[in-house]
Amino acid sequence: MTRFEAIGVLCRQLSDEPVVASLGHPAYELFAHGDRALNFYTWGSMGLSTSIALGVALAHPNRRVIALDGDGSLLMNLGSLATIGACRPSNLVVLVLDNEAYGTTGGQPTATSGEADIEAAARALGIRRTASARDAHALGDALQESLAEAGPWVIVAKVTESGPTAKPPLDCVAIKNRFMGELGGQRAVSR
Amino acid sequence: MPDPTRSLPSWAAGVADGLDALGCRDVVYVPDNPLSQILEALRAWHAGFRTLTATREEEAVGIAAGLCLGGKQPALLMQSSGVGNTLNAVGSLLLAYQIPALFIVSMRGDAGEWNSAQVPMGRSLRGVLDAFGIQHLTVERDEEARATVLAAGQLAFGTRVPVACLLPRRLTVPVEGGRG
Repeated sequence: MTRFEAIGVLCRQLSDEPVVASLGHPAYELFAHGDRALNFYTWGSMGLSTSIALGVALAHPNRRVIALDGDGSLLMNLGSLATIGACRPSNLVVLVLDNEAYGTTGGQPTATSGEADIEAAARALGIRRTASARDAHALGDALQESLAEAGPWVIVAKVTESGPTAKPPLDCVAIKNRFMGELGGQRAVSR
Repeated sequence: MPDPTRSLPSWAAGVADGLDALGCRDVVYVPDNPLSQILEALRAWHAGFRTLTATREEEAVGIAAGLCLGGKQPALLMQSSGVGNTLNAVGSLLLAYQIPALFIVSMRGDAGEWNSAQVPMGRSLRGVLDAFGIQHLTVERDEEARATVLAAGQLAFGTRVPVACLLPRRLTVPVEGGRG
């Protein structure tokens, strides 16, 4: 399964779930599958997409919120899984696109190309609903379950590099305003 | 009610009052001794606050940014040393996307410090914030705490920028024979 195919499996199951995408290839390929207002594309802050998604999930406990992370990015902020394991937001789904490499910076291997196992790490850090998927069918089943049953979830999709063909708009403020507008998060400031 | 064996300092009560008046209901926190007194004041006197402990300050910025995207007005509580851990997130997430943040910063490395390892980050914090164009306000006296936090928060959430409220050790750390 390529990363592009894995993101396609996700996109076919989405309705009104906000998705926070890690910078680089995950964000590029999420965009390539079809732009939507509820996609929050990060252009920096590597490692924080799962944490941003956690914040959105805490703010909107009645919506499913999806983090689209990468193995290299998540390894920069593995503590985020401990925080999620401790506060257990039932509406958060973390989908880790594990290509065992820093794809956006040229394919240098990450620790998951060796012994590191992100699903096992998630379980060790207190996240009970986890899955690993090596093909589109298994990923589709895991995602379907995660959208229906209480989490938090960590789903690791073992993927191969696909080579992005498009990039989302570079206007960060426009990405944010559109996302917040669709989410219904804009409100007046208290005085 | 607060633990009767421990009286909370009025600066901590003031910060808690300011956060409440602002409409803040979420606190994302990396542990620190003086800051824990703000959390105690929130628990004692203000209903409805949710506190989340992050493993690292950069992670805390990500969580708070997500809360803002969801329409909340969270506060970020951390030591000055921890602000150093947040800098790329401040630049590439908060500033680039115009996402507000209210930092409540317990100072290390300023007057009264005993640990030399805390000094380089602490003494350069204001310069670092200035370099990022982040406005910072220092609470010099207990009675300023509420108004300073409220004003910092209005600036942050009203104009969608990060703002830092600095709590010096002279304020937060009792000195024998002096502040109790």
